[in-house]
Amino acid sequence: MKKLRDIFRNLFSCNSPPEDPATVEKLRVAFKERYHNFKLLLSANNRSLEVMAEMEQALQGEETFGMPFIRSSATSISVNVFRMVQNLHQLAPGKYLELNERFTAIQNAIDGILKQTRSIPEVRMVLPLSALDKDMADVAGSKMANLGEVRNRIHIRTPAGFVITSSAFKRLMDYNNLQTEIDRRFQSIESGDIESLYTFSAAAQQLIIRARIPDDLEMAIRNAWEDLEAENGESITAAFRSSALGEDSEGSSFAGQYRSELNVSFENVFQAYKEVIASKYSLQAITYRMNKGFRDEDILMCVGCLVMVKAASGGVIYSRNPVSGQDDGVSINAVWGLPKSVVDGSVATDVFVMSRTRPITLLHKSIGIKERKFVCYPQEGVCRMDLSAEESTQPCLTDRQTGQLAELALRIEAHYGTPQDIEWAIADNGAIYILQCRPLQQIAGVQEPADILDTKLEKRLLVSGGITASPGFATGRVYWVDRNVDVLAFPEGAVLVARQALPRWASLLGRASAVITEQGGFAGHLANVAREFGVPAVFGIPGVSNMIQQNQMVTVNANRRSIYDGVIPAPSGPPKTRVNRMAGSPIYEMLKNISTHILPLRLLDPDSPEFNPSRCNTFHDITRFIHEKSVIEMFNFGKDHNFSERSSKQLFYKVPMQWWVLNLDDGFREEVSGKYVRLENIDSIPMQAFWRGFVSIPWEGPPAIDRKGLMAVIYQSTTNTALTSGVRSAYAERNYFMISKHYCSLSSRLGYHFSTIEALISERPRENYVCFQFKGGAADNTRRLKRVYFIKDILQESGFRVETREDHLVSRIENHDMAYMEKRLEILGYLTLHTRQLDMIMAHPASVAYYDQKLRQDIQTLLAAH
Amino acid sequence: METFKVLFVDDEVDFLETLLKRMKKRQLNVFGVNSGEAAMAYLKQHYVDIVVLDVRMPGMDGIETLRNIKKISPLTEVIMLTGHACLEIAQEGMELGAFDYLMKPINIDELLYKLQDAFQKKSIQQEKIQRLKEVMTARPSAMSDSRTV
Repeated sequence: MKKLRDIFRNLFSCNSPPEDPATVEKLRVAFKERYHNFKLLLSANNRSLEVMAEMEQALQGEETFGMPFIRSSATSISVNVFRMVQNLHQLAPGKYLELNERFTAIQNAIDGILKQTRSIPEVRMVLPLSALDKDMADVAGSKMANLGEVRNRIHIRTPAGFVITSSAFKRLMDYNNLQTEIDRRFQSIESGDIESLYTFSAAAQQLIIRARIPDDLEMAIRNAWEDLEAENGESITAAFRSSALGEDSEGSSFAGQYRSELNVSFENVFQAYKEVIASKYSLQAITYRMNKGFRDEDILMCVGCLVMVKAASGGVIYSRNPVSGQDDGVSINAVWGLPKSVVDGSVATDVFVMSRTRPITLLHKSIGIKERKFVCYPQEGVCRMDLSAEESTQPCLTDRQTGQLAELALRIEAHYGTPQDIEWAIADNGAIYILQCRPLQQIAGVQEPADILDTKLEKRLLVSGGITASPGFATGRVYWVDRNVDVLAFPEGAVLVARQALPRWASLLGRASAVITEQGGFAGHLANVAREFGVPAVFGIPGVSNMIQQNQMVTVNANRRSIYDGVIPAPSGPPKTRVNRMAGSPIYEMLKNISTHILPLRLLDPDSPEFNPSRCNTFHDITRFIHEKSVIEMFNFGKDHNFSERSSKQLFYKVPMQWWVLNLDDGFREEVSGKYVRLENIDSIPMQAFWRGFVSIPWEGPPAIDRKGLMAVIYQSTTNTALTSGVRSAYAERNYFMISKHYCSLSSRLGYHFSTIEALISERPRENYVCFQFKGGAADNTRRLKRVYFIKDILQESGFRVETREDHLVSRIENHDMAYMEKRLEILGYLTLHTRQLDMIMAHPASVAYYDQKLRQDIQTLLAAH
Repeated sequence: METFKVLFVDDEVDFLETLLKRMKKRQLNVFGVNSGEAAMAYLKQHYVDIVVLDVRMPGMDGIETLRNIKKISPLTEVIMLTGHACLEIAQEGMELGAFDYLMKPINIDELLYKLQDAFQKKSIQQEKIQRLKEVMTARPSAMSDSRTV
């Protein structure tokens, strides 16, 4: 194959004019092939620039993205840059081989960053709780590590148990080759497509649940269980709780994102283990990670196995108020039976607020109507029991117990030095067990001026009550969620209304503007996540469903625990800022690192000696270099071949113009053999559009310039060598169009500035683009800069993205349909003629104002014409 | 543009079926199989212009299939289409002569453009070889002449 190509190439290397038709045919094929290569190169260039723009956008940190975005962007850019390198080699064999080495170096650097993984110490797959403390979070997960700390360092009672470590997790995933399969499925999900996310979530969990536990892991778990039974003296049941790695990051609670299995007998130990692990891919856990910028592969699921406490009562303690600046006591949330219903927000709770100073006293309490409780079945499983009217209104803690609990909370807080969120249970025999503790996320409260309570507002009050689960102020349409499928239909920016504050609604907090529930307290998981995401939430307004309608526009003032009809302007005070969740997250940092090998552009000036392959340090540099060279190569090939069909023709429009046209492929209606090509014979959509704009409105002639302006021009034109010919290639010396039916590249030197326009316009909107670059001018630097800004404004108004660096302007617009793109080229044609020498008047405000108005008016005329 | 024939290879049956349906709506001559092995068997029996190939498949994976296709039919263009965004594999595929490496989810029109571009590339290659054959049969001396230039 290669040999054939060589022979073929030799056929065309002769410079004598081809005569016989067979050779002409072959030259035509050669030109066609080159042009196709060039077109592919342009399309790859366009695609990589697009993805780079998306990457830049993501780095603003305002949108959420995950590893799939990073991986697919990096791969896509890399593939397209690779294609450009190959295409350039085809256009100029052997000439730019150095690019290969640069490409590989950059790609390796990126690959290295992508492959960084959390290194986990090699440890046993199972460790007893008695061996853990808080420094072992990377093997046991933060939850179990902290429980070990409570038991072994603070010496407070916890259930006995063991942890199935991160090594075990890795062993399970590797043994079944799960991670690659899960990554692959995750990659295909379109961002924002909740439905396919849902499908993915179900599939990933199934994969894990069906996975086989390797024999060595099974043996380790079995042994640990037997040890636990031996220690306990009788057969046991246990709670399986998630204890993920990576939960410990600052400001991230991962509250209730994963599953717990309560009261599990030995028979179902392995199933329970896998189910807890599978919950890493629950919808709420996936969306939480995405919203917070965590890498999927950084979250290793450890699982704690704790002897089940048959609780008489249980709940959650906050050692301080999660909203700082409010009443500051130790608050104890309690229910009958297992603490489960406090954290999942399904039942009203008792709240006891205790003083932080000793002797500890009760500050106040509110007794909820606890309609039901969860208790353990003797063999296995948890049963929900309705409570009698008498039992439901009875406080579930005695004064002595509330005092003991507050005391424990203060001890744990003192040990850690930060406020704590503690889960506890009291066994039938009265023994208190700590089940979990973690740092409490505190957020700043909002002080509101009293004046917003005016009577007008009160008329629009729909309902008030409940508790502030997360402070803030928001407006939106009411959307009821009840079943899981409602998650799929939940509209962006709606106010989430639910009966219970269930953890599963957490997956909607990235999209909800506020949350209202009938039941649930501020110690639940949903409240935690709402505070973390800065979403205002009011929980526990009984009967709220009868007071607001689906789709009704409401305003939620969570601080006042009030819901109003319609839109009410936010109270004065600092504007509510939504928490920026991406910046600083591991995912964000990774993108930032990778982008340093992709985005920065250092190769700016093609005239500079620095403009060579060895200076290409980023993919952007490579694309810039290749693009520049490919245009030159296309041009030179046309010049070098004495092939009259493809030699450059002088444009004939009424008279011969100072413009030359090089036909790359199908840019002429019929072949031209003479010296001139008439405008009518040009079949290039972008060139015709440019020309329409160029000749649409006659030029008034050079602007009247002041004496100083004239001096500046004369002086600069004699000293600025970049403006005189000979520095750049022949392509830059004259005004050249390189065209095909859908493509046009123009370099022009009108007046004293140098500009290039490149456009691809076809029936494929996704590939369409117009790029305009502009540099220099003869006036002094200040005036040149002023003109650049002047042009920048006009381009931006016309829809271009514009970047300027000194007197260099680069602008681009893409992905619009043909008609729209043609109009942009008309504007550029118009500007090419009418902005020349404008730099001279830039010091004159009155002239600037005149031209400003004239140009804008002309462009309007242009856009209105058909 | 002339019609051309495309073979889609993907082990995800649902994905493949939807894709085939959408391609047929766009008047494309398409056929689908679920594995690399099936693709090779099909290619031995039928003429195909372009193969769109998944990367991760049980059995013969995408890269291996690509390698085999290029062995038996070097002019057939191959586009990789995958949910597996891996820099290394993408690179390997490109070096083995894949026309492009695209990632799911893919915009259907973009895929169509890629197919058209790939087909054009293939047509030009074929035309070139055709011309060369003509030269070699018509003017056997031309080759040696041009070599000396």
